[in-house]
Amino acid sequence: MTIAIYLESNNNQITKSSLEIITAAQLIAKENNSDIFAIIIDDDISNIITEVGLHGVPIIKCSKNITSYQSSLYAKIISNAVKDSDVIIFPSSVHGNELAPMIAMSQNATSIPDVIDIIDQNTFKRSVYGNKIHQIVKSSGKIVLTIRSGIFDLPNKNEIKPEIIEIQSEIISETNFPNLAEVLNSISNRPELNEADIIVSGGRGTGSPENFATLIEPLADKLGAAIGASRAVVDAGWRPHDEQVGQTGKFVSPKLYIAVGISGAIQHLAGMSSAEIIVAINTDIDAPIFKIADYGLVGDLNEIIPKLLNSL
Amino acid sequence: MNIIVILSIVPDTETKIQLNDKNVEMDQSTEWIINPYDEYAIEAAIQFKEKHGGEITSISFANGKEEKPIRKAMAMGVDKSIIIETSSPLSSISTEYMNAISTQLKSSNVDIIFTGKLVTDTNNNFIGPAVAQILNLPIITEISSIHFSDNILTVTRNNAGQVEKYTSPLPILLTTDKSLNTPRYPKLPDIMKAKKKTITRVSYDVNENSPQITIIKSEFPQEKDSGEIFEGSSEELVTILIDALTNKEKIL
Repeated sequence: MTIAIYLESNNNQITKSSLEIITAAQLIAKENNSDIFAIIIDDDISNIITEVGLHGVPIIKCSKNITSYQSSLYAKIISNAVKDSDVIIFPSSVHGNELAPMIAMSQNATSIPDVIDIIDQNTFKRSVYGNKIHQIVKSSGKIVLTIRSGIFDLPNKNEIKPEIIEIQSEIISETNFPNLAEVLNSISNRPELNEADIIVSGGRGTGSPENFATLIEPLADKLGAAIGASRAVVDAGWRPHDEQVGQTGKFVSPKLYIAVGISGAIQHLAGMSSAEIIVAINTDIDAPIFKIADYGLVGDLNEIIPKLLNSL
Repeated sequence: MNIIVILSIVPDTETKIQLNDKNVEMDQSTEWIINPYDEYAIEAAIQFKEKHGGEITSISFANGKEEKPIRKAMAMGVDKSIIIETSSPLSSISTEYMNAISTQLKSSNVDIIFTGKLVTDTNNNFIGPAVAQILNLPIITEISSIHFSDNILTVTRNNAGQVEKYTSPLPILLTTDKSLNTPRYPKLPDIMKAKKKTITRVSYDVNENSPQITIIKSEFPQEKDSGEIFEGSSEELVTILIDALTNKEKIL
């Protein structure tokens, strides 16, 4: 059996969610001695090759000198590379989620989005109904998977010198649409919600957008954390939608999730209950968030957060 | 402009879910709604029509409960609807689901297709890119702004803290994120008018030989054990927390 993994890179470095799919692929491969190869598309790939080799991936198929992401071009390159693969894995990132279904259709494969556990080489666990239900699904034939980030550990170090196969492609010169005209860097230096080890998340209990900014933001920055928000806070316009955690926002699984002034509506809990450690700070001892918190602090966040900031 | 919206009909996100051995069960009390992310697609389609003219057609699947949410979409501004009745039930992550939608669109000269970035019940973000691939259309997922002039479409989307700006001619398929717009509430006269709009029901023969996914088991996620709850002065609470995160969990 052959497993193909698409590794996404940013600034010539593999993203964390892509490293995690190496682990996922190795788990599947262990069951039945499968071969694994990685697909990389970027302009300068020398750093990336070294990094992939560090984690024991034996074969890399690469397309270099491609300076910007272009979904239809990428899909053509990947389709070419995975013709003989049985399992094709993508990270559940914006680009991964866009490319995976295109590859599934081009390969007449079944698609299993947002996998959270591997049972065997064709049986997987995924979550449905806004994380309220887990489903074990089995597929026959060729499969395309996306893997939720934060579920699998980073791969072990096992340095090898991978075999490099360049994907020659005449299609590169074709004009493809849409064209990525510009990438504007964000002003924030904080980690992305889906990639962060620690998330500090605020809800209505923070009181106001100003309070959110003066309490939650410094705490997040002190911990090197990403900022999350409840739906109430996003709907009220206090915070941007891309910070929303929960059923109509993001599903996150960080190592540490600190919920500040969040009561814990079921839709919010569905988005974060798979965090390893949950800390909740709330004045209301009956708040549902305390039912799933490892450490529940009953108290006023306006007093606790400044003291916490001083002690860190 | 020939504007298409692909709408999935899902149980309300507040629905209390029951399980039988293998599958999720919905009872009579379940409220069926337009998939929340598809409401942004409807609003985007209406705004696009308001600026550039045309007609909006929705495409959905029959599940016996689809009429009420489809009429709501029509009250919002969808002009006509196609409802696909399949020879056997289809999961929205199956290849045949994508094929059934695409079959309806192949022969019509589509200018722009909108659909939500995710279907909430099956947690499925594959529909947009899969349909685009079948129809050989450019695709941009999770868009957060859209602008069309001089026959060039410009859209942006957020990706891992960066903003990507794309340009493309039509036709194209776009999937909509929550930050794109605020879906309108239908007004009473529009609700009345929607009752007279045309719904066309078409049938689709499912190819039973196409690749399939079988559900082996559905289960509630393991309940997390509730941990400890601490009360006390803020000083005490902070000390407890820092001690736990530093010495016990070793995360700080």
